[in-house]
Amino acid sequence: LAGEKVSGSTDPGKWIPSTCQGCTQWCPVEFFVQNGRAVKVRGNQLSKVNNGYVCPRGHLMLQELYDPDRIKVPMKRTNPKKGRGVDPKFVPISWDEALGTLADKLIELRKNNEPHKFLFIRGRYSPKTYPLAYGTLPKIIGSPNAISHSAICAEAEKFGPFVTEGYWGYRDYDLQNMKCLVVWGCDPLSSNRNVPNTINKIGDLIDRGTLITVDPRLSAIAAKSHMWVPVKPGEDGALALAIAHVILTEGLWSKEFIGDFNDGKNQFKTGKTVDESAFAEKLSHGLVKWWNIELKDRTPEWAEKICGISKDQIIKIAKTMAAAAPQCAIWMGPGAVMSPRGAAASQAIYAINGLLGCVDVEGGVLSHHPKSPSNKLPKIDDFLDDMAKKYGKEKKIDQRGYKQFPALNPDPDKKGNFKPGTAVITNNVATGILNADPYEIKVVVSNWANFNFSCTGAERWDRAMEKVFYVHIGTNPSEAAMYADIVLPAAHHATQKLSIIDNKGNGYTHISIQQPVVGRLWEEKADETEIMYMLAQKLAEKGFPNMINYFNSFKDPETGKHPTGPEDFAEIASKIISSAVWKPKEPLKGDKLNGWEDFKAKGIYNSEPYKYKGLWEKGFPTPTKKFEFYSEGLKIGLKAHAEKYKTTIDDIVESAQYTAKGEEVFVPHYEPPKVWGDPVKYPFILVDFKSRLNREGRSQNTTWFQEFKKVDVGDESWDDVVRINPEDAKKLGIKTGDMVKLTSLTGSITVKAKLFEGVRPGTVSKCFGQGHWAYGKVATKEFNKTPRGGNNNDLMPFDVERFTGSNCRNGGFTRVKIEKV
Amino acid sequence: MPKYGMVIDLQKCVGCGACAIACKTENNTQDRAKGQTFNWADFVMKTEGKFPDVKFTPMPVLCNHCSDAACVAACPVTPKAMHKHENGMTIHNMERCIGCRQCQRACPYSSEDVEKAGTQYSVISFNDFTDEVHPFYKDTKEVIPGCTSSGADVSKRAGDMPPHRTLYKHSDYASVREKGKVEKCMFCEHRVLNGEQPYCVASCPAKARIFGDLSDPNSEPSKLLKKHKAVQLKNNKGELLKPGEKGTQPNVYYIRSFKAEAKKA
Repeated sequence: LAGEKVSGSTDPGKWIPSTCQGCTQWCPVEFFVQNGRAVKVRGNQLSKVNNGYVCPRGHLMLQELYDPDRIKVPMKRTNPKKGRGVDPKFVPISWDEALGTLADKLIELRKNNEPHKFLFIRGRYSPKTYPLAYGTLPKIIGSPNAISHSAICAEAEKFGPFVTEGYWGYRDYDLQNMKCLVVWGCDPLSSNRNVPNTINKIGDLIDRGTLITVDPRLSAIAAKSHMWVPVKPGEDGALALAIAHVILTEGLWSKEFIGDFNDGKNQFKTGKTVDESAFAEKLSHGLVKWWNIELKDRTPEWAEKICGISKDQIIKIAKTMAAAAPQCAIWMGPGAVMSPRGAAASQAIYAINGLLGCVDVEGGVLSHHPKSPSNKLPKIDDFLDDMAKKYGKEKKIDQRGYKQFPALNPDPDKKGNFKPGTAVITNNVATGILNADPYEIKVVVSNWANFNFSCTGAERWDRAMEKVFYVHIGTNPSEAAMYADIVLPAAHHATQKLSIIDNKGNGYTHISIQQPVVGRLWEEKADETEIMYMLAQKLAEKGFPNMINYFNSFKDPETGKHPTGPEDFAEIASKIISSAVWKPKEPLKGDKLNGWEDFKAKGIYNSEPYKYKGLWEKGFPTPTKKFEFYSEGLKIGLKAHAEKYKTTIDDIVESAQYTAKGEEVFVPHYEPPKVWGDPVKYPFILVDFKSRLNREGRSQNTTWFQEFKKVDVGDESWDDVVRINPEDAKKLGIKTGDMVKLTSLTGSITVKAKLFEGVRPGTVSKCFGQGHWAYGKVATKEFNKTPRGGNNNDLMPFDVERFTGSNCRNGGFTRVKIEKV
Repeated sequence: MPKYGMVIDLQKCVGCGACAIACKTENNTQDRAKGQTFNWADFVMKTEGKFPDVKFTPMPVLCNHCSDAACVAACPVTPKAMHKHENGMTIHNMERCIGCRQCQRACPYSSEDVEKAGTQYSVISFNDFTDEVHPFYKDTKEVIPGCTSSGADVSKRAGDMPPHRTLYKHSDYASVREKGKVEKCMFCEHRVLNGEQPYCVASCPAKARIFGDLSDPNSEPSKLLKKHKAVQLKNNKGELLKPGEKGTQPNVYYIRSFKAEAKKA
């Protein structure tokens, strides 16, 4: 309207930094706060990892914080009967009563000389504050059972990088300088790692080079790719080996990184062995061994029949990658490796990065980041009594180190070596509890963990938690909470908890703060700090002061004061850890910070940028200091395990469900997938994947998750669909919108069918996340009665990748049948 | 006076949904109900082809702030509730709105009821005359009585409704709309007037949304429109305007393709 004055403005508010923990990237973020309310979210503007942006998950934190179904007060169960759909008849209780009851239970265990029958389960946590709950409570009571969630969704992914280049962790990728990215078994536009940075850089990467995605389902990144490679689930290893075969026979390996034949002539001819002395290796170890033991016969023709990808396409992938190398990377994710024999695939896929000299270089895979320093919390050792020391040495309830579970983790004392019996087998804890093997578990405490929903074979956790006294710490009445005897309300980590987080990405590392940006609404408390301190006080009241004495030994690095209560304990712990960046002993190479208040205001310390080829110069942290195609570290680990059981490595490998024999074990090799279910009775392979709105299984009670569920390629909002290829659906007489029952060897769920071309025939794909029967009003159709959709974990059986302890959930290890209902 | 518009670069867009959810945090839009989406920013998903040659395209959608706005033409009140600002934005004045929904019927990008129409989105949504706005945060049900909270409790304790309400002021519209009024994307004029980008633009991690003055040949969106062939939506069924077809002269343009296109040798 002409003449009418238009005006507008945002009311005053302040951006306050904190850290998102909606996936494992742990993005530094900022909340816009008006009148003490958090109203908007963005990436921390100073972050070099996320470029100042959050992915869609970040925004969902507001609805998590203000979730109407949050637990307000401690509560206890008054119905002793436990079971799915049984009303626990929770009643509110005081913190005093709740922690008093728990303290009594712990002291009783000690009185009966069975403190090891206590189990602490760690879900979402703060990596730098790990000693506060996970590292303290079980230890000081006298239990070896500090069990982390990590093996539910990741560890097999770390196996390949470790056995080749001695790196145990998630890799980073130099996307801004990359010319060819091969995404393999994950979708970094949606989940896995570095989501905001990948979203930020992928459009330009497409201009610069080639994007290829290997995945049986059409993911978001597959839909964007120049080439979608819908490999048969579980046959990723065959594809990788054939790519390696082409790289060698075509002479496309990195001469700079790997070396060359003495006479410069390529002797890698299909089917023919090569004399090891004919090749002069530079920065790698065992290339010719690998060729002779495995690769010489792994032709694209061979792989085509197994993995469903044509030989021409395999050759094209190999040549495209080699043309871009070293500005090239395979971004490997869990889809290709979190399966019963997935470690071999992990090794094969990752080895290609080495063949092409793409590791630790500009435009390649990065794993040798500059450090962001942090201080360790004081040592607990002086506060452990004889009982704690004695029973702390008992076997762990997850059965790690049993003959069939080598459970390899890096040896802390010897670089690049594996040490058996040291990796967590998270999902096997339920087995341990159910069978009382190695012993009975009587008391369980968990923080931010919902294994009754998030673990495969979820029903086992229902039965396990029926047997124990269980204290659950969480924000919502989750499936696990419904089995609890006492539930403690947790402060929402990103908005209500003070903690210190570290991570890396985009060539940087950082230390970031997680801090309360708003006040508490009810009686919720911070899990790892406040609740632990209050429990320690309670234990002291009841005659066991060791934990509070330990906590009170902490000293504020500025004032020298010791904690006097739960809140200043949280602050002192955070200050101790982070003072390395805001009060450094020597000037740091990254950001300059001026004290604790400056760190709190900025929320982040960024390291200096990545230094390329640092590993090329000083050697890889492997036994040979080379990039190992023949893994000496794996050999050492398996040998130690075999010696413990006075048997052969082959016997151990077989017990661990692998088929390889002899030297084959130590090189990337082909393993036929182990699949649950007869192909005739269960004709379809289930492909499970993660939602780009999934905040580790916790966002389903937000309406924005449900409303925008459709951003998961092929999914429907406010629903849970199984995606079926139209050709398969036609044979079954199924249309989009029909309700279908999916049944595996271990369970059934009923969901809606969706015909979708982005599904490999013979497979069905379904997103993980829906199917909550508890958690709240939005996540369920009817709380504690009817789920919204179905939980994939009711279909997928419990199985373990036994070299690493990884929970199997991918690689097509579950077959299902589909029936119209 | 600038003439604002937006270019959406589909090659940069990853279809993640951050824009659409961020919009809900900025503009405090309520949850879907009775065929109304209340999503000022939303998506149309298209799947073409057959396995394994499948093309999937999520197209971000919002009000097109058309130059020949059908919603404005249809608005029966004087002065019009749905009107054009000189800067090209189609703005809705909440006070003057009588809730007749003529704009919703006239807009080619809107549906009176998305479920009945079978459309994936609607630019204009209508706040019912009878229902409370944001019923989710007025509900008093506790799933575990005495132990868990409720929508009403959360909004009361947080001190506003919705509890994450972003407070802003504008001479035409309120930060939460009222019963009996329509609502739609305002290009975040309350931000743009202060030199900020619309919140969907500011929140896009891919920088796929480029907002600016289309009358200025040197603006970022103008430069992109010169460089790339652009398309515009024809309706809310995902159909595009054909070359030469003007439609309502939408000011939201789409460039490039979601799926990476093979390079020319």
